[in-house]
Amino acid sequence: MKGNRRTTKQRKRECAKTISEGTGLSRRGFMSGAAAVAAFTIVPRHVLGGPGNTAPSEKLNIAGIGVGGQGGGDLGNVSSENIVALCDVDWRHAAGTFKRYPKARQYRDFRKMLDKEDKNIDAVVVATPDHTHAVATMMAIKMGKHVYCEKPLAHDIFEVRKLTEAAREHKVATQLGNQGQASEGTRLVCEFIWDGAIGPVREVHSWCNRPISPRGIDRPKETPTVPETLNWDLWLGTAPERPYHPCYLPFSWRGWWDFGTGVLGDIGCHQFAPIFRALKLGYPTSVEACSSGVNSETAPLASIVRYEFPARGDLPPVKLTWYDGGLMPTRPAELEDGRRYGGADSNLYVGDKGKMLGHRLIPEAKMKEYKQPPKTLPRSPGHHKEWILACKGGPPAGSNFEASGPMAEVVLLGNIAVRMGKQLYEQGLKLYYDGPNMRITNMPDANKYIRREYRKGWTL
Amino acid sequence: MNKKKISRRDFLGGAATVAAFTIVPRNVLGGPRHKPPSEKLNIAGIGVGGQGSGDIGNVSSENIVALCDVDWKRAAGTFRRYADAKKYHDFRRMLDKEDKNIDAVVVATPDHIHAPASMAAIKRGKHVYCEKPLTHSVYEARKVAEAARKYKVATQMGNQGQASEGTRLMCEYIWDGAIGPVREVHVWTDRPLRGLSSVYWPQGVERPTERPSVPETLDWDLWLGPAPNRPYHPAYLPFNWRGWWDFGTGALGDIGCHSIDPIFRALKLGHPMSVEATSTLVNKETYPVASVVNYQFPARGDMPPVKLSWYDGGMRPRRPDELENGRRLGTGGVLFVGEAGKMLGERLIPESRMKEYKRPAQMIPRSPGHHKEWIQACKGGKPAGSNFDHAGPLAEAVLLGNVALRPELKEKMNQTRLLWDGPNLKITNISEANKFLRREYREGWTL
Repeated sequence: MKGNRRTTKQRKRECAKTISEGTGLSRRGFMSGAAAVAAFTIVPRHVLGGPGNTAPSEKLNIAGIGVGGQGGGDLGNVSSENIVALCDVDWRHAAGTFKRYPKARQYRDFRKMLDKEDKNIDAVVVATPDHTHAVATMMAIKMGKHVYCEKPLAHDIFEVRKLTEAAREHKVATQLGNQGQASEGTRLVCEFIWDGAIGPVREVHSWCNRPISPRGIDRPKETPTVPETLNWDLWLGTAPERPYHPCYLPFSWRGWWDFGTGVLGDIGCHQFAPIFRALKLGYPTSVEACSSGVNSETAPLASIVRYEFPARGDLPPVKLTWYDGGLMPTRPAELEDGRRYGGADSNLYVGDKGKMLGHRLIPEAKMKEYKQPPKTLPRSPGHHKEWILACKGGPPAGSNFEASGPMAEVVLLGNIAVRMGKQLYEQGLKLYYDGPNMRITNMPDANKYIRREYRKGWTL
Repeated sequence: MNKKKISRRDFLGGAATVAAFTIVPRNVLGGPRHKPPSEKLNIAGIGVGGQGSGDIGNVSSENIVALCDVDWKRAAGTFRRYADAKKYHDFRRMLDKEDKNIDAVVVATPDHIHAPASMAAIKRGKHVYCEKPLTHSVYEARKVAEAARKYKVATQMGNQGQASEGTRLMCEYIWDGAIGPVREVHVWTDRPLRGLSSVYWPQGVERPTERPSVPETLDWDLWLGPAPNRPYHPAYLPFNWRGWWDFGTGALGDIGCHSIDPIFRALKLGHPMSVEATSTLVNKETYPVASVVNYQFPARGDMPPVKLSWYDGGMRPRRPDELENGRRLGTGGVLFVGEAGKMLGERLIPESRMKEYKRPAQMIPRSPGHHKEWIQACKGGKPAGSNFDHAGPLAEAVLLGNVALRPELKEKMNQTRLLWDGPNLKITNISEANKFLRREYREGWTL
């Protein structure tokens, strides 16, 4: 920690957070971090010192990597700052964003952009397909750039760990793109559970009715020509060579294991954020999965992933179950007839003394009776704003990599269980996981999914 | 208490008498319907390729006198095996012509034909062996069971596992209190998957648009039977009709009557109070790729309410902590969760607990064999183990699960569960769901 860049108070806060490393976000870390964000006031640049942070009164110079689709949205959310450079491997997909920021210089290769624009940019927003997250984010971090990276942070666990470490080492401001973490709901879940509203929680169910792109399919055999506007080699990036096909992009890469991370990767970091915070989760001890069929090319149409987390302090062990593809946990008896069961996605917390659907105790009568605790957690100025403030010397954003890295690892670990589903079944096992050492201890073969091999020419 | 459920006493009594069965001459039994044990039954087969061929083989101690199939190519092997049997395309014609010559029928058509074929036979006083799931709709299952009772014919559903040692052990252990009162049961199959990386039959697909010509050996109109008219396509037959709403009953219909049967017996289940389901995307043509169906059953006597969860398409319950590392949960199976332990199939888990367990004395007589039970019942013996009084409510519960999966009810099912009034055959809280309890027959077909 650089003394000249942080006040004593901030340093203490960060130390408190470092202690909770590896076991997820502690309540204290979360509270003080958010408190500091809320209490943030404008400080002139010279007070903060150091070259890494832009003063709050000045604008950041931001570059976008992957700027169509979600990237376009993310850039819009940080457009209070200067958008100075934009990079996309598909200029047609990026055209709208290019038009919106006509002064931004345009690139195809983020490596070239970062090289050329090193002096001109303070921060990057990474919203590429999952398989490019880590290499883009890592390069930016190593150059001392602040990074906003879309969820699920990276494509494999090793990448996540390395990014988290690098962000710590280079002291850059980071934020994962799980914007729900900044919501009122996330805070209420924490406050209610810490208040003992439903007693100790031993079971949580989390679900999402996606996918919305094809799954359970094999690699196409046709080899259509690559569109002129697309640099297929750059799109492939770290992934193994394969011919272009429109079934991969835009968006549909989510279902392909070489590029995406399935529904769990797409949505898990959103859904798990309040669970991780409220229950102070870190690494699980085990994970198992069943699915609608294991396919080496694509994620399944539906899966159920089951984690077991050990006791944490005075919190009992907890079983977390993830459902996707339309599957859901049993409708709780407490949920009133006629009330929607969470819609497309939700979380169900099962406590010794009650249940909570999202941030509502059920039944609603119980919610109405409930004397809500004081709102002790400071509210967020907004998910993207948190990051901008952090880039300007404010406290870490709510989903900074220190906080979100372990959660992203857990999400990606679930995919390993899905991909090993057949072996797990045949060998009568669940995966036992040694989080600190990133190792599956009882099925050596599964460790190949912890870290994938990069195509020649790419490194982390 | 509802009248449909099978009591322990019924189950015991039925099986005990089967086991104790001895040969009695015809005149002692009286009445024209039951042949004496010393004589052979004259049996007709309806749907005799595939599973039907196996079923007929299992009753071939008797005379196989007539065979009916809408696809003579598919039936060719069976036709050859019983060369003396008369051959038909239309079961209605067969029953008319052979009325005097047959005592009993074996129905192993696709699901959508089960009810009309079984009913036609029952009304003629023929004993019926019908493949699972007894029928295609809940309403049909009720009517067929009622008719069998009324016409006093011997019946058996094709869930042969009911006759097994395992089924008896599950009952005996649970009644012995081996795992305490049971409030939760999980039951699963990998189907429509086969193993975890191939499929038995497709689900989650749309209706084909091509119109290939009907094979010469197939009477497509008869194959359709009571189902709505549609052009022939090989996507439907043989076997793959299982995945199509109009013909089959999905993985639940295929396997539910097998694997839920011991649960019904051991826990003395009757009508559920409610059912709910979630699944992968489902359309009006085929069942979803994977589903989870949850039933709630009320308390029965001194047994507490129980939640029954069904999983298919690769879905399974969580591995129980008691299951040893290295031991498979099974591509299909039953997990009983008791207050004092768990049982996987008929084994307490962990195995060390099974080894320690002092097993109770046999309470239930063993079966002479599933098909044999029926043959004996046809000859005046006691009702077979899966006679329609037992099989009807079991099949109804299974088929009710499919109602909860209907695409038309998806949105509603996110807001509630189906509340079931079993005795009155009515879903009480979603009126539009009731139409899925009973399907409309194509013109010319009646139950």
